[in-house]
Amino acid sequence: METWTLLAQGFGVALTLQNLAWCLIGCTLGTAIGVLPGVGPALTIALLLPATAKLDPTGALIMFAGIYYGGMFGGSTTAILLNTPGESASIVTAMEGNQMAKRGRAGPALATSAIGSFVAGTIATLLLTLLAPVVVEFALQFGPAEYFALMVLAFTTVSTVLGSSALRGLTSLFIGLAVGLVGIDAISAQPRFTLGIAELLDGIDIVVVAVGLFAVGETLYLAAYYAQAEETMEKMGGSIWMSRDDWKRSWKPWLRGTAWGFPFGSIPAGGAEIPTFLSYATEKKLSRHPEEFGQGAIEGVAAPEAANNASSTGSLVPLLTLGLPTSATAAMILAAFQQYGLQPGPTLFANTPQLVWGLIASLYIGNVMLLILNLPLVGLWVKLLQIPRPSLYGGILMFATLGAYGLRQSWFDLFLLYAIGLAGFLMRRYGFPVAPVIVGLILGPLSEQQFRRALAISQGDMSVFVAHPISAVLLVMALAVLAGPWLLRWFRRTRRA
Amino acid sequence: MSERAGQLTVAAGVLLIGIALAIGAWLLPEAAGYARVSVRLFPGLIAAALIVVGLLLLREAATAVGFRNLPEEPRGRLNWPAFGWVSAGVVAHMALIAGIGFIAASTLLYVAAGRGFGSARPVRDALVGIVLSAAVFVLFTQALTLSLPWGAWIPALW
Repeated sequence: METWTLLAQGFGVALTLQNLAWCLIGCTLGTAIGVLPGVGPALTIALLLPATAKLDPTGALIMFAGIYYGGMFGGSTTAILLNTPGESASIVTAMEGNQMAKRGRAGPALATSAIGSFVAGTIATLLLTLLAPVVVEFALQFGPAEYFALMVLAFTTVSTVLGSSALRGLTSLFIGLAVGLVGIDAISAQPRFTLGIAELLDGIDIVVVAVGLFAVGETLYLAAYYAQAEETMEKMGGSIWMSRDDWKRSWKPWLRGTAWGFPFGSIPAGGAEIPTFLSYATEKKLSRHPEEFGQGAIEGVAAPEAANNASSTGSLVPLLTLGLPTSATAAMILAAFQQYGLQPGPTLFANTPQLVWGLIASLYIGNVMLLILNLPLVGLWVKLLQIPRPSLYGGILMFATLGAYGLRQSWFDLFLLYAIGLAGFLMRRYGFPVAPVIVGLILGPLSEQQFRRALAISQGDMSVFVAHPISAVLLVMALAVLAGPWLLRWFRRTRRA
Repeated sequence: MSERAGQLTVAAGVLLIGIALAIGAWLLPEAAGYARVSVRLFPGLIAAALIVVGLLLLREAATAVGFRNLPEEPRGRLNWPAFGWVSAGVVAHMALIAGIGFIAASTLLYVAAGRGFGSARPVRDALVGIVLSAAVFVLFTQALTLSLPWGAWIPALW
């Protein structure tokens, strides 16, 4: 079993004092920003990118991964106590968990989500360990046409499956792709769409876009519409420990939640929201007390929390093996790889096994750390929720401007930051999702490279994308995702008529 | 601006970006001798896609329902003063950072944003802002070797 040898070597890397420290920093930071409303893992990684450019890649990536799944752990705390989901994957937790908190059962709700996240995260990491080498083996057959088709599939799922409107999702995606065009063209070495501005020759940095959309846009939106809003926080009532009955009602939902979350994360199906909703519906159906749902049923917290953690770990499968991000945070981790001149994919596994397997091993360790950070120390994190909102958003903006300015000490990046922030404000106001912009921006240049490479090999013959069987299947899948719901509606309408 | 006018404006904006991109793609100089794939092709495809979604958005916005399935939020009227304070903070920071230094510009931003979110204690905010940005300055310039402007008017401490 070569996998286990590689994993053992990975543990050798992850268990060095230095990398353990990075893992702990990442998990702690992840939990903190998960708890804080208004700051998510994608924003945090974006802010840290300029500051970590000179660090050792393995340590930095271990930290970023810790931020990624630490944010999932921490998000549930805010969802349960404040009923404001820190991110969309915690919406279901907010519904049910806040009801538990209102009935003085905040403790067990926090415990079942923390232990459930741990169980799901660990199982999902095990599945990642087993699955990654298989996908890598398969991906070795991929040429430029297959990679391009794969990216098209990721584009369509990220922008249409997620969110409330496929049209607005696609708009966001194309905007992201358009922003990705700006700068010097990698193949012909000509400047494109720079409007003659020297600062734009290097392109628009993903850090500025992510921070502009997530920090400036969001802050403007909240200031404009919710500056005077009052929030009520539930008390940390009840024992933090779960009763025998709580355990009995939680363990099966944890496993079922994992079973929903992992596959959704690992196929490029976009986001952790859908599996949380599906697992919630499953528990409601299977429960002997369906009437408790909506009134604080522990299953309704346990399963979705397991699902969102399993899904976020699952999304590391396409990210590491194919270089394909399916969420904004995964896209930022891809940007981190690129910062160190690394491109995730089969060659990453072949060329830098210590880094990849060290990273995977760190996930096992990080899950244990997070369990400890979140269960006994939850009272500490709750204090973060008491930061007054003027200070919170003032602080967010301070770090946002620092992140943009830190790139190359240019006021122009701050100008872009505000302009993109205004765009983000409008997107939020009119219901355009942000994640497709980020994924489009980072994958756009890569997909163009593969597109042109495939056409160069085929001497400009466009049929190359359907002539290769794998590529053809992927493109048909993308088309099905895109046209499926529309065809279904049309079919229903014509049958009724 | 009414909801409908806003949606129409946003949709028209998307369409305009698409058209601008199409013109830009058309004007790209063709790279000589590159294997039969025009440099205009990929940007052209994105421009075409933006024009299509822009038109579809315009069509949605023009109907009585407007954009489909907008998330429902208990949103009140736009609070212009709050929006203005936050914006002013960011813009002032951009204009002033090179001159007055990181700490002063960040403190200004912190106070303005706090004001936007309803803080009534600017002096306390300024003190917190100075301490916070000074700590960040030391951390980033000393530990992470990022270079940030100190501000020529402040005498150097080291």
